[in-house]
Amino acid sequence: MRAAPTQRRGEALLLLGPCVLYLLAFSVYPLVTSLVRSFEDYNSQQNTWRWIGLDNYSQLIHDRVFWQTVEHTAVFTFAGVAIQVVLGTALALFFNQQLRGAAIVRAILTLPMLLTPIVVGLMWRALLNPDWGLANWGVGKLGFHNVQWLSDPSTALRTLILVDCWQWTPFVFVIVYARLQALPAEVFEASEVDGAGWFRRTLHVTLPLLAPAIVFAAVFRGIDAFRTFDLVYGLTNGGPVQATTTLSFQSFQTGFEFYHYGYSTAIAYVMVIVAAIGVTVMFRFARVRREEFAT
Amino acid sequence: MSRRRLGRIVSYVVLVLIGLAGIAPFLYLLLLSFKGPLDILEVPPSLHFHWSQITSNYGKVIHEQSYLTFVKNSVLVTGASTLIALGLGVPAAYAFSRLRFRAKDHWASTILSFRFMPPIAVAIPIYLMIRNLGLVDSYLGLILPYVAFSLPLVVWIMIGFFDEIPAEIDDAALVDGCSRAAVLWRVLLPLARPGMLVAATFGVIFIWNEFLVGLFIINSTGHETIPIAASALLTVESPIDWNNAAAVGVLTVLPVLLFSLFVQRYIVRGITAGAVK
Repeated sequence: MRAAPTQRRGEALLLLGPCVLYLLAFSVYPLVTSLVRSFEDYNSQQNTWRWIGLDNYSQLIHDRVFWQTVEHTAVFTFAGVAIQVVLGTALALFFNQQLRGAAIVRAILTLPMLLTPIVVGLMWRALLNPDWGLANWGVGKLGFHNVQWLSDPSTALRTLILVDCWQWTPFVFVIVYARLQALPAEVFEASEVDGAGWFRRTLHVTLPLLAPAIVFAAVFRGIDAFRTFDLVYGLTNGGPVQATTTLSFQSFQTGFEFYHYGYSTAIAYVMVIVAAIGVTVMFRFARVRREEFAT
Repeated sequence: MSRRRLGRIVSYVVLVLIGLAGIAPFLYLLLLSFKGPLDILEVPPSLHFHWSQITSNYGKVIHEQSYLTFVKNSVLVTGASTLIALGLGVPAAYAFSRLRFRAKDHWASTILSFRFMPPIAVAIPIYLMIRNLGLVDSYLGLILPYVAFSLPLVVWIMIGFFDEIPAEIDDAALVDGCSRAAVLWRVLLPLARPGMLVAATFGVIFIWNEFLVGLFIINSTGHETIPIAASALLTVESPIDWNNAAAVGVLTVLPVLLFSLFVQRYIVRGITAGAVK
């Protein structure tokens, strides 16, 4: 017994309609407005907008700070995610052995991801404090000189990457570990019978099987790292001398502190386009993954 | 000692180090929050505490810096936003899982892709919308955008859970003459409860921590949520009063940490479904 097509269409509208309408109003509409605003100039005194065409974008191309920001964002995203992928995969392989108490440590590892980024910034500012922070005390005990973690422009971006890795390596770990647990045991048994050592088994059997999960985690993390804002705000506030200003942060500062709403949205729109490309790549991988599971 | 035994010992040492690396920064913050302003300068910090110092540090945050107001604001905004997002997202996810319509996967992907939108790209238009609606500095001004931000997450997680429930269960109820909405409400929701808990968990964590859009919309202390209030307290107070800043930090993340203890198994489920942040 099948319901009439019109009735089924009604059901679809009833179930999907509210969600779609809501997203249209509070996600799609702002996103479209944003695009329009990026072609306009905002006058904060008179609260008026003036159409200036591509001026914001041509200003961007000639903005030295913008290109620096692009570079910081690229370094932060690629270096950070590369480290997280290597460490996260290593952690997954490490936890693949039977150790008592491992479940507790795995639970601890999920915590950094849940913390309010503002507070993550605060706790690391304390740890890395040049005068009394525990990090430099440890560095000194190991026989090295004090490190200017956050106050030296050439180190600050690396420190930002370090903290991001502390917070997000567990994310890659959880995804890769879940995939590892789901692999059929026969795969390992067969290669063990062949007499291959742990290292060769990992390189030739395990890692290729984990590759889809690793790539998925890397792209997912890459898009999130690319739009990082809160951690920058909490840890470095973009400084010193803009050494850690990322695209999100520059867009925020331009809009929130200087009221250049038009220019701010132009920067943000560059981000939207890059993020959209990233998402397309990710969904392509997700589709490959689903088909692979189906077979 | 056999090589195998040595390997086990090394593994346990590494395990403990991993655990420490994960939790040490938080423990350090906790330790600082127990100290007097001058004790902070002692390196390495002593593990000797005075109860009166602890109560005075936390008492200051709770009583003088109206921390309880911020908790109330956060609980209200987070609770309302999560419930509304579930109310809108669960039926949509059900439709995506069960109904057949043109370009379905495409539409699902489009909704999910909003999860990755840089929030700064919509922060200014949303702020202007909220201002036009006269909702600046109100709970509703925060709830409206927060529902939109957590909806893709809810839909994403719930599609996965509905897909796991056999369609024969719906078919049986549909043959009995139930409408789709009735099937969802009476038959599937009880079965999908774990999924809703996962979705709610991640909605709650995301909204509790949201900061950027809140910063635009809230501009007085009366309606500040915890992260916004914390950021204000931290920029004003630190680096002068590190013990006070640390107490603010601890109280900010403590609710999330306690909450996560109760929902530990849902958290891993949610991350592997692509839900975090």
